[in-house]
Order: sequence, then C-alpha cells, then structure tokens
Amino acid sequence: MAAENWELFRFIQKSNLKTAFLSKGDAFVNILMMLINNFSFIFMWWVIFNDKGTINGWNFDDMALMFAVSGLSFALYAIFFRGVAELPQYIENGTLDSYIVSPRNLLFMASTSFSTFANWGDVITALTMYFLSGYVSAGGFILFLYLSFMAFLLTYAMRLILSTFAFYTSGTESLGNNILMTFLIFSNQPATIFTGIYKVIFLTVIPAGFVSLFPVALLKSFTWTEFAVFTLGTGGIFLLSLFFFYRGLRRYASGNRFGIR
Amino acid sequence: MHNIIEACNLTKKFRLKKTGKGLKNLFKPQYKTVVAVNNISFAIKPGERVAFIGPNGAGKSTTIKMLSSILYPTSGEARVLGMIPWSNRRRLAYDIGTVFGQRSQLWYHLPVQDSFALMGKIYNVPEIAFKKRLSRLVRLFEIRDLLNSPTRSLSLGQRMRCEIVASLIHNPKVLFLDEPTIGLDITAKAIIRNLIRQQALEEETTLLLTSHDTDDMEKVCDRVIVINKGKLIFDDSLTTLCDSYLNKKYLEITTESGEKIRKVIDTRQIPVKKALDELVQTYHVADLTVENPPMEEIIKEIYNRGD
Repeated sequence: MAAENWELFRFIQKSNLKTAFLSKGDAFVNILMMLINNFSFIFMWWVIFNDKGTINGWNFDDMALMFAVSGLSFALYAIFFRGVAELPQYIENGTLDSYIVSPRNLLFMASTSFSTFANWGDVITALTMYFLSGYVSAGGFILFLYLSFMAFLLTYAMRLILSTFAFYTSGTESLGNNILMTFLIFSNQPATIFTGIYKVIFLTVIPAGFVSLFPVALLKSFTWTEFAVFTLGTGGIFLLSLFFFYRGLRRYASGNRFGIR
Repeated sequence: MHNIIEACNLTKKFRLKKTGKGLKNLFKPQYKTVVAVNNISFAIKPGERVAFIGPNGAGKSTTIKMLSSILYPTSGEARVLGMIPWSNRRRLAYDIGTVFGQRSQLWYHLPVQDSFALMGKIYNVPEIAFKKRLSRLVRLFEIRDLLNSPTRSLSLGQRMRCEIVASLIHNPKVLFLDEPTIGLDITAKAIIRNLIRQQALEEETTLLLTSHDTDDMEKVCDRVIVINKGKLIFDDSLTTLCDSYLNKKYLEITTESGEKIRKVIDTRQIPVKKALDELVQTYHVADLTVENPPMEEIIKEIYNRGD
C-alpha cells in the first residue's frame, strides 16, 4: 500500500512538474525572483546582526538555522501539498466531489492537486542557509531534515485547519491565506524576542515557535526533552487538523458550480 | 437476483443561511431548512440502465451524490454493491465510476492521455490491463486524435467523451452519470447517448443517469424514476412511461416565409410520419423539429393522473 501511494505521489508530482514546465521561462524566472526575495530579506537581517551582534542571545548563525528550517518546511508544503490552500474553493464549488469518489485518501488527493514550482527557490535558500550556519554535521543534517519535515506538518496542519472553516462559512479563502501569512511572519523572526505572554501565544495560538524556537535550539544543542515536546507538539497539531477536517467533511454540501480541475 | 443499488427512505436536508442586512444578521444569522430529497426508496438490479429524471432542483444530483458517497444523508439507508456508500467510500470507489457533466476530472493543462494514466494509477490498474482497456475505450469513443491534446483545447462534446472514458478506465460495475449531456449541442448529445448505451450493453454496466432532458432517458435507459421536489413520483419501465406519458410529440415547422407553426400530436391517434406528411403537403417547409413534451409537462401529467 505504501509503495502504491509513493508511486502515485511520484506520478502526480511528475504531472505537476510537466504543468510547470509548459512555460519553462516563467518557471525559472519565478525561482529566480523567489531567491532574490529570500536573500534580500536575509541580507536585511545580516545587516542588523552585523550592527547589533546579538538579539536576546540569538546571533546571525541562529537566524541562518531558522531560515533553513522555515524555508525547507514551507517549500515542502508549497511544492508538494499546496492543494490544501485550494480546499476552500474546492469545498465551495463542489470540486471536492472528484476527490471524494477517488479510492485514495481524500486529503492526499486534494492536497497534491496543486503545486507552486517557484518554491524550489526556498529549497535552494534553505540548504544554502543550513550550510552557511556554522552548525553543519552529518547527524545535524539528518536532524535538520527531520525538524523541517515536522515543521512542514505543522504548516500543513495550520492551513488545513483554516481551510476547514469553509465547511462552516463561505469566503474563507483569503482569510486563511492572511492568517497563514501571519504565522509565517512570526516564524521568520528571532524567536527570543517573544517573552512572557507573547511567548505563550507564540507556542499556542500562533504556534510559530515550533518552526523557529525549537528547531534552532535542537540543532544547536540537542536534548531529548525538547525533541519530545517538539515532536508531540507538531504531531499533535497535525492530528488535530485531521480531526477538524473530517468533522467538517460531514457538513459538505457539494456545490454545483461549473468548473474544471 | 440481488439488488446492486438500494435506497430506503433516503432523505437529505440542507441548512441554508438566510440573506439579510445589518449587524443583527451578522452575529445572529437565521437559517432555513431545504428538503432536497424527501424519503425516497427504490432498488436497482445489476445491468439495469436507470434514468433519474426531473426538473432542475428536483433532487436528482443530491440522490446520486449520496449513492456515490459524496454526501451524507440526513436520514435513511442506502447500499451500493452491498456497501453503505458514506461508510465504505474508498472500497466502493474501486467498483463505481462517476461522471459529473458540470465538472471535470481531467487535468486542465495536460494532454488527455496523461489524465487517463493518472486514473490508471489511482485505481491501481495493472499496466497491461490498463493499455488493453484504454485501447478498447479509445476505439469505442473515437478519441484517438484527442489523446495528445490538452483538456483546455477540447470542445465540450470532446471533453465529455474523454470524461466518460476516464470514469471507465477501472471497469466499474456501476456508473453514475450526473447530467452527462448538459450544455452539449444536438449532435454531441446523440453521440454521447449512443456511446453510453453501447458501453453499458457490452459490459453489462449498471447505469444511473440523471438528466432533465427526456431524450437522454429514451435513448439510453430501460427504466425511469421521476423525481420532483425531492419526492419520487414515478418508477417504472421506459415502455410504460412512453405509453402513458410520452404519447405526445411537439412539432414545430418554419415555413419558407419565416413563419413558425407549432403543433402537438397524440401519437396514439396519429403517427408522427403521417402528421409530418400532412404538414409538408400543407406548408412550404424550410425547417422542422420533433420534440418530446418538456419535463414539466410530464410531471404535471403524472400528478394529474395520481389525483
């Protein structure tokens, strides 16, 4: 079963790539623009850290680790599972029907239905920043991949929860995008600037701390306690998002708007 | 013979938000309940070709969506191939095919054959079986020239032929078709009807077809279920429906001077051919059409006789 799903996943990704390469020029310009965008942002932080040295105990190497994890996790979401952000539209116009009658997992089919090729730029940025971070080792790299994957699950879960609102009310697509953007902005700041009540919000309401605070701490100095909190936190929110989605699905009314995949 | 589809007191209600103005409506919205399908029961045997007809908003699509696992019913029971659709969604999907005239399961930008290949992977059709099956369907539906065209470049009729092929790749036992001829011109409708019928006869596929076009039912099906305002009002063979309610034909001629003349004939009293002959002899005919009574009229007739 796992092998079959892996083969289907590869086939869908190949089809998504084919779609992206219908206009090769566009595809590569988009990646280039993404790189310029990312490195301009990173350069701004480099200038700040060059001037300040540290911010609440974080230096630029810590920021590099944070950019690496948040970049790779967002890239995994955007390249392979961006369809989850399309769910409100699928729910409102009835496109979800096509995925419900499929013999494969509904969320898997709907989530893999859409991809943004430009986010390969984030993969390049993330790997570059990891290798520039000064915390490079073979074991560390495996841990980095694991942490990025779990942070991806969290990003996916956040978007899924927001998309699930579409089962209850209409016009939630842009609201979901805006809230996810807030989550991303929070996860791309030095995690140590959030203290007191803000830190609580940073780890609960907007759980961006799981993308920045924990991964950087674990990559710098590994402890099993932090590893367990991180894994249970991200995994728990992911499971919660699945619960919300399947609960919402019972309310699905299947619209009849004309459309094409 | 066991039934392949069974519905028992199937009901679906939708809760719709009332549109209103002001803050009160924003914080305390009011809802109304719409009964889309009201307590309907029927059973279908393997190989039957059943038309599920009724006017727009009758509840046809809602019923088909409950039977194909898309919607949960509000109450009632249903079994398709012995399974409760909404509880056995993934298992059932291997044995049913669905075509929704209003939306596509093909990839918009990619060649049609890529969508077929994806369907083969989704349904785990072995490579050799997939090639053999696709080759048969391509021949039957005459789509060889379309295989390399992206979906976006197909006409509606061409797309619908490809949609049906995509839904048959895994050789389903039951095929649900929701308004498969919607929006098509007369020629494309005739081709689609013919192909659906031929495919069902050759492979003994059970068909459940919804439409508000009575021609779909006449050309494809052998049994008719009529539904109106969510209630089942007729369930019998096509022959019975034709003998009892489809014995009128609407003739419309356009004369060479541009005048349009409409005539309704009772085919039990005067054959269509004779009526046409008379019209052709009386007028200088430039164009003529022969149509079945509209759906609304058949339903009115069914109600009248029921009273």
